Amino acid sequence: MSENEQEMDSEITTDTKVIIDTKEELIKQCEEIWKDMEECQNKLSLTGTETLTKSNAQLSLLIMQVNCLTAELDHWNKRTPEITPLTEDVLLTLGKEEFQKLRCNLEMVLSTIQSKNEKLKEDLEREQQWLEEQQQILESLNVLHSDLKNEVVTFSESRLFNELKTKMLSIKEFKKKLLFALGEFLEDHFPLPDGNIKKKKKNTQESNAQLITLNEMVEMLINRMFDVPHDPYVKISDSFWPPYIELLLRYGIALRHPEDPTRIRLEAFHQ
Amino acid sequence: MSVLRPLDKLPELNTATILLVGTEDALLQQLAESMLKHRCASELRVHLANSLPLPSNVNRPRIDLIVFVINLHRKHSLRNVEECLNHVDGSFFLGKVCFLVTGAGMKSHCSIHQNTVIKLARTYRSPLIFCDLEVESFRATVAQRLVRMLQICAGHVPGVSALNLMSLLKCSDSPPPKEL
Repeated sequence: MSENEQEMDSEITTDTKVIIDTKEELIKQCEEIWKDMEECQNKLSLTGTETLTKSNAQLSLLIMQVNCLTAELDHWNKRTPEITPLTEDVLLTLGKEEFQKLRCNLEMVLSTIQSKNEKLKEDLEREQQWLEEQQQILESLNVLHSDLKNEVVTFSESRLFNELKTKMLSIKEFKKKLLFALGEFLEDHFPLPDGNIKKKKKNTQESNAQLITLNEMVEMLINRMFDVPHDPYVKISDSFWPPYIELLLRYGIALRHPEDPTRIRLEAFHQ
Repeated sequence: MSVLRPLDKLPELNTATILLVGTEDALLQQLAESMLKHRCASELRVHLANSLPLPSNVNRPRIDLIVFVINLHRKHSLRNVEECLNHVDGSFFLGKVCFLVTGAGMKSHCSIHQNTVIKLARTYRSPLIFCDLEVESFRATVAQRLVRMLQICAGHVPGVSALNLMSLLKCSDSPPPKEL
């Protein structure tokens, strides 16, 4: 126990000694500087005084200025920076200051890095969202693509050809049907004059040509219309029974040629 | 002690002394008060005098800066200052002397030409400050300037000496304008 006490005592004395040492050192330095000053003062008091008159003022002042400035320059050149005595407590305070500065700087750095981090995270999230959206778009497009692919039937010429053929056949059938129906209707309602009239009238009407049915007349007109579109006129021949021609003309089914009364054409119902 | 010398005594701790010389007592008093209002790190001492030489029976500290105050309205102030200059040691003029001119605002009342004063300042290579000491705000500004100059001349600003200040505040070396 006593040893511990002794140790503690010596520690305490060394501590106080250390503190006193710094103060004493500073005081010592000040005293030395003051002594230097007193010496300089003594030297100065030995120099004489010199008053100036207006005439010599500028010149003497300039000379004095030169001397003093050179002296000061020399002094500045020779002088080395003095440091405070590096005792423990001085070092401690200096160290503390340095650490404080360092801590401030590190805190700043930390805050900037954290804010940067957050920004980067936000950016990352945004980019990920964008990526997801793009992927969704891609998926839907893919689905669309596959659907369309399935729908597209493999292109084969023969099939097309067959299809067209069947179409044509059906149309031809329809046309035949229509013509047949037309023919029947016309035969029923607009028959040719039978031979009775021929026998009764012994006119020397030349009935060389065999009269054709209304059906045939109409067919002729239709064919001419579609065969030669720029000249759909059919010459009226003797095989046309005049009353039927008149019938067609009156009902607007056929039209005369504007300049030639012997030609007629079908009215263009399809245009 | 008939001639003022710049470094005749050891300085007192942390004090700076300024000497205002001029014939206008009221103005000097006001200027002194404005100067003392300024807070600065060192203790200020302001001494006022009508003329030099100063009475030797008074125990005064070392003087760091002398300011000669000239009133343009009165020829007497200029003559007084010119006489006082004979009692100042030459080494004072290396930055520790300043001329302060007042009354330049009222041209009609000026009996001294500005060029005279400018020539005087140039002869003695010292800075010249124009200021109307009657106006409160100008006085305060000039007081602040003088306090700064005083601090430098007393050596309380590390790294700048009175000589350096003089070089920085250089008055032009051009020849003086022709006197009318």
